[in-house]
Amino acid sequence: MDVLIRNAKIIAPQASLNGKQMDIMISGGEIMEIAKNIAPGNAKIIEAKGLHVSPGWFDIGVQTGDPGLEHREDLSTVSAAASAGGFTGIACYPNTDPVTDSKSGIHYLQQNSRDLAVDCFPIGALSEGCKGKDITELYDMHKAGACAFSDGNHSVQHAGLMLRGLLYVKAFDGLVINHPHDETLAANGQMHEGYVSTTMGVRGISSLTEAIMVQRDIELAEYSGSRVHIANISSRESVEKIRKAKTDGIKVTTSVPALNLLMDDSALTGFDSNLKVLPPLRSEGDIEALKAGLKDGTIDIITSNHVPLEEEAKKLEFPYADFGAIGLETAFSVAYSSLKDSLSIEEIVDKISGNPRQLLKLSSIKLEKGSKANLTLFIPAAKWTVAKNDIRSRSNNTPLIGKELEGKVLGIINGTNVILNI
Amino acid sequence: MAATSQLSTDHLIGIKQITADDIHLIFETANNFKEVINRPIKKVPSLRDITIANLFFENSTRTRLSFELAEKRLSADTINFSAASSSVKKGETLLDTVNNILSMKVDMIVMRHPAPGAPMFLSKHIDANIINAGDGTHEHPTQALLDAYSMQESVGDLQGKKIVIIGDIVHSRVALSNIFCLQKLGAKVKVCGPPTLIPKHIQELGVEVEFDLKKALEWCDIANILRIQLERQDLRYIPSLREYALYFGVNKPLLDSLDKEIVIMHPGPINRGVEISSDVADSDHSIILQQVENGVAVRMAVLFLLASRR
Repeated sequence: MDVLIRNAKIIAPQASLNGKQMDIMISGGEIMEIAKNIAPGNAKIIEAKGLHVSPGWFDIGVQTGDPGLEHREDLSTVSAAASAGGFTGIACYPNTDPVTDSKSGIHYLQQNSRDLAVDCFPIGALSEGCKGKDITELYDMHKAGACAFSDGNHSVQHAGLMLRGLLYVKAFDGLVINHPHDETLAANGQMHEGYVSTTMGVRGISSLTEAIMVQRDIELAEYSGSRVHIANISSRESVEKIRKAKTDGIKVTTSVPALNLLMDDSALTGFDSNLKVLPPLRSEGDIEALKAGLKDGTIDIITSNHVPLEEEAKKLEFPYADFGAIGLETAFSVAYSSLKDSLSIEEIVDKISGNPRQLLKLSSIKLEKGSKANLTLFIPAAKWTVAKNDIRSRSNNTPLIGKELEGKVLGIINGTNVILNI
Repeated sequence: MAATSQLSTDHLIGIKQITADDIHLIFETANNFKEVINRPIKKVPSLRDITIANLFFENSTRTRLSFELAEKRLSADTINFSAASSSVKKGETLLDTVNNILSMKVDMIVMRHPAPGAPMFLSKHIDANIINAGDGTHEHPTQALLDAYSMQESVGDLQGKKIVIIGDIVHSRVALSNIFCLQKLGAKVKVCGPPTLIPKHIQELGVEVEFDLKKALEWCDIANILRIQLERQDLRYIPSLREYALYFGVNKPLLDSLDKEIVIMHPGPINRGVEISSDVADSDHSIILQQVENGVAVRMAVLFLLASRR
C-alpha cells in the first residue's frame, strides 16, 4: 500500500529538511519521495491541520508483562499502546516472569515481537532474577542483542554489584541503566516527602533517597569508566549532581518520566493510588529544576515510565497499591503540555527520538528517499481528553483519565505498518 | 455560638476537611449530649432507624466502645466487624468487604483502618456517611475533637492558648488531627519528642519543634502526651523505652520544677512509667478520664450531625 503524508511540517533536528512543509510518499515501507505537492496516484492520503512528522519516537524503558504477567501487558498490547503514543521503538525492561536474564530470554522477546508494528528491544537483567546479588551472563546477552542492562524497577541497592556490572560491560562498551532509589532511606515511603505527605500522614520518600544513589552511580561510572544511564530522576538535587558530573566529563546520561514534569505532589491529597508512582511526583520546585535540566541538556531523555498494573494491584488503599502508571499513550502529550513554553518542538523530539536511539547505539533514522519509513505523525496544537475507552494498554492505571492534554499523536508509520489513531 | 446548624461535609474523614464553624457546631451539640448522658435515662431516639456499621480493621478498645456507646445512646442499630488488616489485604478487597456490608442496608460507617487514606478511598466509591475512627498515621478526627473539647472545658476558649504535643509525632494520627483542630481554634501548637519521631516537614504546618522536654513544658498551658506506638514502628526509631522514659517521660518532679501548673492529657492507652508516670496520670492536673467521658458526647454529636444530613 502506498501512503502519502500531505503537507506535514518536518521535525528532524539534525536534517536539512527540518522545519519544512513537505509531502512524503511511502511505498512498500520505504520513503519514495519528499517534495512539495506530490501527485497522490492511488496512495492513501494522510492529512490534518497542523500535522507534523518526525523520525519515529523511542522509549528506553518500558515495563511489559510478557512473559508471565500478560494480564498486565503482553507484547501485542504494549505495541498497540506504544504506537498510539507515537513510539515506533521501545526497549523492554527485564522485570517479567521469568526475568530476562539469559540469552533465551532475549530470544523470546525478539521472536515474539517480530511481527509487531513497534520494534521491541530487550534490556537484559543486570543481576540474576533482578535479585541484586550476582551479575548475569552479560556478554552472552549482549551478543544475542540485549540493548542495555538493568534490573528495571528493582533499583540496584548493592554498590559492589553495580560496580562489577559496570566493569564487566566495559568489554563491549555496554550500557547499564539504574533507577536511583535507596531502599534503606525510602523505608517503605509512599510519596514525595514534604508538606503534602506530612499533612496526609503518609510516609515520605525524601529527595535524599534519590540523590544519594545518583551520586553513588556517578562515582561508580567515573571509577569504572563505563557508561551509566541514571533513569527516571525526579528531584532538583539529582539534576544538579548530574549537571556537575557531565561538566566533569563522566559518562553519565539521565532521563525523566513525562508525568513528573506535569504533576506535583499536591495532586495526591485525595489519596488517588494512580498517582502513586516511582519516582514519586515531587514539588513544583523540582519540576522547574527538571525543566531547566532538559533545556540545558543535563537531562537527555524523556520516558513514558510505563508500568501497567491490574486493578487488583491498584484499586486499593493507598499504602497497599503498587507503584506505577501506564504512560506510553500519553507521554508525548504530557511532556508537551508541560514543556511547550520552555522547549522547542525540536528539543522535545530530540529527547524522545534521537537521544534515546543514540544512547542505545541504534541506527539513526533518516528522513530521505530510499530509507525505511520510521515516522511519527503528530499535531502539537491539538488538544484532547484522555478517555478510558481509548486506552490500548491492557491495563488502565493512569491518573490522566478525563484530563485534557495538549499535543496529539496521530500515529506511526514503521515500514509497512501504518497505525493511526483514527 | 456556632454560625451554622449543619456540618459542611457528609463524612468526617479528617479535621483538615472541616471548618472552624463545623468544630464549634460539634462542640455545641456535644454540650447537649453531655447533659443527656448524665441524666438517669441516658438514651434519646435521635438515630432510630439508622443502621451503623463499626468496621475495625485494626485493634481498638476505647474508641470502639466509645463509638458503640454513643450509637446506642442515640438509639441507632449497630453491627460490628473486626478483622486483622492482613487477611483483608490478601483476600477480599476493602471495597468488596464494605460493599457486602452496605448491601445489608447500612446508613453510616465508622471505620478504623491501618492504611492512611482508607476512609477517603472508601468515600469515593460508596454511598454511606463515613466517620474515620483512625486511619493509620493520617487522622483520628473524633479524638482531636474530644481533646479540644476537653481542653476548652479546662481552660476556656483556645484562642492563643499554648499546647505541646509530646511523643511519637511521626506515627501519630492523633498528633496530626490535634494540630489541624487546635490551629483552626486559634491555639499555638508545639511538638516535642526525639528527632527520629518528629516529621521533617512538620514546621511547614505552622508548628514549632522543641527537643527539650522541660522547655516545652515551661512554654505550654496544656501538655498532650502521646502513647509510644511501638506497634506502628516497623523500624527502631528509639533505642529503648527506658531511655525514652528518662528523657521524654513526664513525671512529678519535672512538673514540680515548673513555676506554673499545666493541664495534662493523654489519649490512652497509657504506658505507665514510659511516657507518663503514674502519679502524673492520676494527679489533679490530669484530665485523662474527662477526655474519655467527653469522647462519648462528642461522638454522639458527630453521629447526630452527619445523620441529619441524610
